[in-house]
Amino acid sequence: MNWLSLSFAQPFLLWGLIALPVIWWLLRLTPPRPQSETFPPLKILARVIKREETPHKSPWWLTLLRLMLAALVILALADPVLNPREKAASGNAALAIVLDNGWASSPDWDERAATAARLIGDARADDQPVVLALTAEEQNQEIGPFDADTALERLAAARPRPVPVNRPAIYGRVATALEDLPGAAIAVLTDGLATSGDEAAFRQLFGGGPAEILWAAPERLTVTAATDAQNTAEAFEVTATRAGGDAAPRQVVAYASDDKGRRVAETVITFGTGAARGTGRMQVPFELRNDFVSVGIEGENQAAGLRVLDENTRRRRIGLLSQSEADQAQPLLSPLYYIKRALSPFADLVEPSSPELTEAIPELLDQKPAVIVMADVGTLPEAARRAIIDWVDGGGTLLRFAGPRLAAADNDEDLLPVRLRLGERSLGGALSWTEPQPVAEFPATGPFSDLAPPRDVVVNRQVLAEPSPDIVERSWANLADGTPLVTGVKRGEGQIVLFHVTPEATWSNLPISGSFVEMLRRIVQLSRNQGALAEANAEGGKALAPYRMISADGLLVPPSPEAEPLAAGDRAVTLKNPPGLYGSEEGVVAHNLLAPDAELTPLARPQAPAPMSAIRYGFDQQQPLKGPLFAAALALLALDTLAVLWLGGGLRRKPKLARGAAALLAAAIGLAMIAPDTARAQDERAGEAEAIDAISKTRMAYVITGNASVDATSRAGMAGLSQFLAAKTALEPGEPAGINIASDELAFYPLIYWPVDPAAAMPSEEAIARIDAYMQSGGTVLFDTRDQYSTGFDSSSASPATLRLREILSGLNVPPLEPVPEDHVLTKSFFILPEFPGRYRGSPLWVEASLNAPVRTDRPVRVGDGVTPIMITGNDFAGAWAIDESGQSLLPTVPNDPLQRLYAMRAGVNIVMYMLTGNYKSDQVHVPILLERLGQ
Amino acid sequence: MARIGEVSPRVASSDALVRARARAALLPDLLVEAGRVANNVIAGWHGRRKRGIGENFWQFRPYVEGEAVSRIDWRRSARDEHLYVRDREWEAAHTVWLWSDPSPSMLYKSHLAPVSKESRALVLILALAELLSRSGERIAWPGVTDPFSARNGAERLAAQLMHAPELAARPDLMPVRRFSDVVLAGDFLDPVEETIAWLDQLARHGARAHLIEIADPAEEAFPYTGRTEFSDPETGDKLTAGRAETLADDYRRLYIARREELASWCKRLGWSYTVHHTDRPAAQALVAVHLAMSAEVGYQMEGSR
Repeated sequence: MNWLSLSFAQPFLLWGLIALPVIWWLLRLTPPRPQSETFPPLKILARVIKREETPHKSPWWLTLLRLMLAALVILALADPVLNPREKAASGNAALAIVLDNGWASSPDWDERAATAARLIGDARADDQPVVLALTAEEQNQEIGPFDADTALERLAAARPRPVPVNRPAIYGRVATALEDLPGAAIAVLTDGLATSGDEAAFRQLFGGGPAEILWAAPERLTVTAATDAQNTAEAFEVTATRAGGDAAPRQVVAYASDDKGRRVAETVITFGTGAARGTGRMQVPFELRNDFVSVGIEGENQAAGLRVLDENTRRRRIGLLSQSEADQAQPLLSPLYYIKRALSPFADLVEPSSPELTEAIPELLDQKPAVIVMADVGTLPEAARRAIIDWVDGGGTLLRFAGPRLAAADNDEDLLPVRLRLGERSLGGALSWTEPQPVAEFPATGPFSDLAPPRDVVVNRQVLAEPSPDIVERSWANLADGTPLVTGVKRGEGQIVLFHVTPEATWSNLPISGSFVEMLRRIVQLSRNQGALAEANAEGGKALAPYRMISADGLLVPPSPEAEPLAAGDRAVTLKNPPGLYGSEEGVVAHNLLAPDAELTPLARPQAPAPMSAIRYGFDQQQPLKGPLFAAALALLALDTLAVLWLGGGLRRKPKLARGAAALLAAAIGLAMIAPDTARAQDERAGEAEAIDAISKTRMAYVITGNASVDATSRAGMAGLSQFLAAKTALEPGEPAGINIASDELAFYPLIYWPVDPAAAMPSEEAIARIDAYMQSGGTVLFDTRDQYSTGFDSSSASPATLRLREILSGLNVPPLEPVPEDHVLTKSFFILPEFPGRYRGSPLWVEASLNAPVRTDRPVRVGDGVTPIMITGNDFAGAWAIDESGQSLLPTVPNDPLQRLYAMRAGVNIVMYMLTGNYKSDQVHVPILLERLGQ
Repeated sequence: MARIGEVSPRVASSDALVRARARAALLPDLLVEAGRVANNVIAGWHGRRKRGIGENFWQFRPYVEGEAVSRIDWRRSARDEHLYVRDREWEAAHTVWLWSDPSPSMLYKSHLAPVSKESRALVLILALAELLSRSGERIAWPGVTDPFSARNGAERLAAQLMHAPELAARPDLMPVRRFSDVVLAGDFLDPVEETIAWLDQLARHGARAHLIEIADPAEEAFPYTGRTEFSDPETGDKLTAGRAETLADDYRRLYIARREELASWCKRLGWSYTVHHTDRPAAQALVAVHLAMSAEVGYQMEGSR
């Protein structure tokens, strides 16, 4: 069932629509049930309700809504499909797709690819192998057979190429591949343009006896190609060719771009009725025309719509002619030397092989130069003279320079712009009164009018023009005294220019000035090209590197990796040599897709041995409507629910509903705001948690020596001290932190307790350096050698722990030390302590010596700044502080004296307080004075 | 959608047995609750134990110049130098008629209120009965019991009610005599003219009435929206409103107007008219009625002097 490009998979379900009137009748009969309410003051209410409202029926729009709902559901169940397409090929053994991806397929490539993808999709449904061949690709491309998925992948990778299609070769390969797949369907997806060898190609392709042929060609060939660009005398002519068979008159816009891609000129090309070719003229100044790098057809996004231009249309070929062959040995004196240097950057210079004028001039003219430079050539042989005159009349520019020969020769009216006096004029020198003349401002009428006159140029010698009425307008440059330096005149379509000085620096220094180059360039720009030359290019036979390529969609792009240098004389456009510019910045050769005389012929449908059906290019627009219809039905259902709620007054009566929704919404927003938080949390750095942990509370730190018993004692000691601190002072330390001095961050801890264990490995230099840095930056290390009673009575002997301590300290910057003096802050920072016992008694506590602190009798505490970075004891503090989980002391003091343990604890408190408060206790001496001042 | 109002199932059936049983189940609860409420109020309730017109001796007090000489108790005065007056206890037999509306409309209870109107009315009346009998008043229920005085007045009244036959929607108020107080708790939703016509005989008898209008908040606020069918619990009449919220203002005006009219009529007669909403605590109404009654008592005392 197909109806308005809508088809139904299950059309019989549409009979359900008949039920609609019944539904309507039912809906009309059952009104929404009113909310039933008991209401005692009914009599009062009855006075308000004047008439009894008895709606037997639901409102008409609600009925309509529900009817639509029912109809939508029925329609959706019938499974409608918009823009259905029939399967093109089915039931064949295999499918071969030959797809043209040449330049002409670029504009609607997506449609072509979609068509191919559709065919492959059908093949997948039938589980057929697929042969996929692209005609513009290399001949050795892989064509399959693939399974459908691979073919789809390859198709997705396929792109249109800016080259012509190569049907014979590719079709041949497909035919070979199809030999193994008899009964295959062949889908020929052409670009609609004929190429040479098409007939044979199709014969070959269809030779295997395909089961079915699908033929796809564009319905209309709309490609327009820029086939020619000619820089003629008056205008730049662009020729465009459109595909034959397009009979309607048509106008296209052609544009010209410069090397930066800027659009510098435009013209309209009009195709007459039935005409396949049209020409447009861009009438722009000559200088601008020489800037053209490419011409294109507006709106043609394919490679043939753009045509690149090269020196053939832009650069001038200049023939050089000189008679002073003998001077070649001394190049600086050669009359052509400065001319060559000046012209070579922007012109092709051609020199005749023979100095003989009768041979040289025809040879030059054969090469169709735009300009012929004659350096001091006097009289020409008659045949050569005739040829030169004809050439000038035909548009050539003859640039002559003066010299002794010219000065001595007779006046040749046809080849000189002005009559010359015989001989030359000498300015300055031994026999002249005159001074060498500088160059005056260029006349405003001449071609040099906008050039800056060379101030530093002086002319010593020149040929003089006979005064004549038109001498002024023929003068392109004058000397300061008004005599012409450069004269020019138009002859026919060409012109003749004469420099009244020699081309070398003998008569003047003009040839070695910058202005000479400018003037020559201007003259060359004024010249007209005399036709393209087939073979010659600047590099002369060498292969040219790709410079700018035309992409498949008609843009100038950098070359792709597969572009190869263009061999001389190779004009075939292939994938290796895609169209574009070859060469380098200095000079390029245009490699264009189409020859100037190319025609775009529509491809005729070939004779086929099998049933051939045409398919169209186009996107797959099939769209199942089941989902949207169900969605619409669902929306209507929601609408109906809302309407019923509204009719029943539920929307107002249920503020809780709104509150619930608001709460849900708030929860959702809250969640959304929480989510980034968790995301942020994940980006914390490693070890950050430990760092935060370490600094959020003051923690006692001890060095992990690696000796388990020492470490356990240290930990228990720190725990005991922490407990004691918490009990006696305002400080409530956190868990003791065991630190690895080699890796852990030390700066978090105010005090590090280091039980020196001779059995443990000596800390590495880096670790010592870290400790040093820690001490320098304000931390304190409490070294405990725990060897008070193991050193023996011999003061010169040292225990292993002491030795190890000395070893450690040797790597540290240890300040001068002293035992804690009586008036040190340590003795008063919390408890008043005369000594600092630990498990042992008697070892002094060494601290940084406060050498400079004055001992004042009026103060009980020595005043000094800073906190000692190092403390050393041998009393085994940790052993005295150590407690177990139940709070009982772990180790007995030596001697076993509870008071000693208490003192040890107090020593620990004093040390910690000293660490945390610094020398603040020494300021307590001011308290009496402060109190006195406060009036206490 | 939950309904706003419902008919309390307790007395929904006309079946006498079911109702009696349900009432029996209810009354102890109510009595307890009434006792609790009365205990709350008793502090502010000055009983009748004071001087006044009565038979029994109350106190001797010094004679004050200007009092009737005949009131001097000479026998007491003869004992010493002072003159004494014998006060007697005020024993004015005050009868308070209590009545709560038993009509089906009182069974209404909306979700805004914790109890039905009938329940609240009964609680109030029994609480009053408790209070009154505690202070020695005679209480009665028109159509159920004659005035009686007992300490356990509330219990007796409840028992009487339990065993009473079908209660008339509007009891005969003929037995109510002059100087009696009548406490009427009901919703007074009938047309004002009918209510006035019914209560007019009280006025003509010279009794003083205290009307307690028990109102459900839903009846006053009219929170109905949307298409609603209203049914009268008394008559079974049904009324459908297409969009009930549009009626709210008009209805509320009429509802308040009825109350105002009734209240002003009561005021004119010197009666009290208390409006009590069932979502408020019962004690509130009790205090209000108590105030109205005690003010009246004070007035009567002044008059009796």
